[in-house]
Amino acid sequence: MNQTRALIALTTLAVVGVQVAVFTQWRFAGVVVMLVWLWPVVVGLTGLTSLAVVTGFLSGLLFDAQCATPFGLNALVGMALGYFVSRLGKEGVGDLDSAALWVTPIIAAVAGASAPVLFVASGVLALDFSLWRGSLLDSMAVNAVAFFFLARPLARLAFALSSPALRARR
Amino acid sequence: MASDRSRRRLVVTGVVATLIVVTVYLAGGVVAGVKGAARAVVFPFAWATDFVARPVGHMVAGMVDYSDLVAQNHQLREELGQATLRADENAAAAAQLRLMGQALHVPWVGSLGTLVAQVTTDSPTNFAATVTIDKGSDEGVMDGMPVVADGGLVGRVIAVSWHTCTVRLLSDTGSVVEATFGDGATSVLISGEGLNNPLNVSGIPETAPLGVGSLLSTDGLQGGLFPPGLPVGRVTKLLVSPGSSTYAVSLKPTANLNDLSYVDVVLWEPST
Repeated sequence: MNQTRALIALTTLAVVGVQVAVFTQWRFAGVVVMLVWLWPVVVGLTGLTSLAVVTGFLSGLLFDAQCATPFGLNALVGMALGYFVSRLGKEGVGDLDSAALWVTPIIAAVAGASAPVLFVASGVLALDFSLWRGSLLDSMAVNAVAFFFLARPLARLAFALSSPALRARR
Repeated sequence: MASDRSRRRLVVTGVVATLIVVTVYLAGGVVAGVKGAARAVVFPFAWATDFVARPVGHMVAGMVDYSDLVAQNHQLREELGQATLRADENAAAAAQLRLMGQALHVPWVGSLGTLVAQVTTDSPTNFAATVTIDKGSDEGVMDGMPVVADGGLVGRVIAVSWHTCTVRLLSDTGSVVEATFGDGATSVLISGEGLNNPLNVSGIPETAPLGVGSLLSTDGLQGGLFPPGLPVGRVTKLLVSPGSSTYAVSLKPTANLNDLSYVDVVLWEPST
């Protein structure tokens, strides 16, 4: 488990790095694809709830440090995504080898569409009621589509990194 | 069962931790340090990714857009020549205007110092319209300083580190600018509506002398966040709702906020 944690933590740092250095420059319809939200989703698909929640918190918090939005909101969204998807992952829903080909992308697309709503709603916690005036709908649509296509390759990576922990669990 | 309990405990701990983070953020203070530490952790990874990805991106862009690049280069050379000529003419006019302004005790933005900065990164998120520029506290930039480009106000500095700072753009949903128009008798508030949306203006009475194309500039009232006279935007849409005595106004920023490469930081501190 420790090896898995270390690998996932390192990859999380790399994912935040890629988000900040690359994905920020690539905008689709003016929208940034949020890799830092997709990463806890695919880690959650392994069914390792604790790992997914911690991954969501870490990736969100590190990304929060780069943004002017209220500090902690991305961490909250990451944790929520990691937790809910890991509940599905525990039931084997996101298993890349046994589940249907479209299952993982669809789960990721739903997460991509829900995450911006969750982010805007959690803005209330930080007394920021203006977030909904931004590009909420665009963000939902673009992230849903991008998550759909990116989910399987990233899930492969997450499963590969988590394999020691998954083996130990079996 | 025990696993369920520990999972629940983890989630509750996570949520509580986040709430503490958000509360600390609202209280101010410590968050700047935490953010600095988190940025330092991410920096090597972002730098390494950028180091690898940038040349590849440039190569692809160069291959795909080569004709455009050549055309742009020709156009820029021509514009540079014209701009140099205009700059020489303007320098003399500016000096004369500064002298007149001093004699009349008129606050004029042209008399304020500016610092040229390059935009290094756009906002990394969809919910904040910000840019990062390559000048920071070591170069004299301070929190709250206005930033201009392309003939108009771009936004203001909201976070400063040694060699970089973050600028909140006019289009950010948290941005509010006090502005005026025409003879300066009416003050209005211009607020951002998100990255790709026009600015919103509230509080303009129906009787105000305003039309499509009218220019709104900062009003520079005592205690305001901006010096007077910085062009903010031009009216693109003017609507009167039935039963309302005020205009609903859409404004296009004077500066092109979606394509910022270089900006000027106005070395002016908001009065407290």
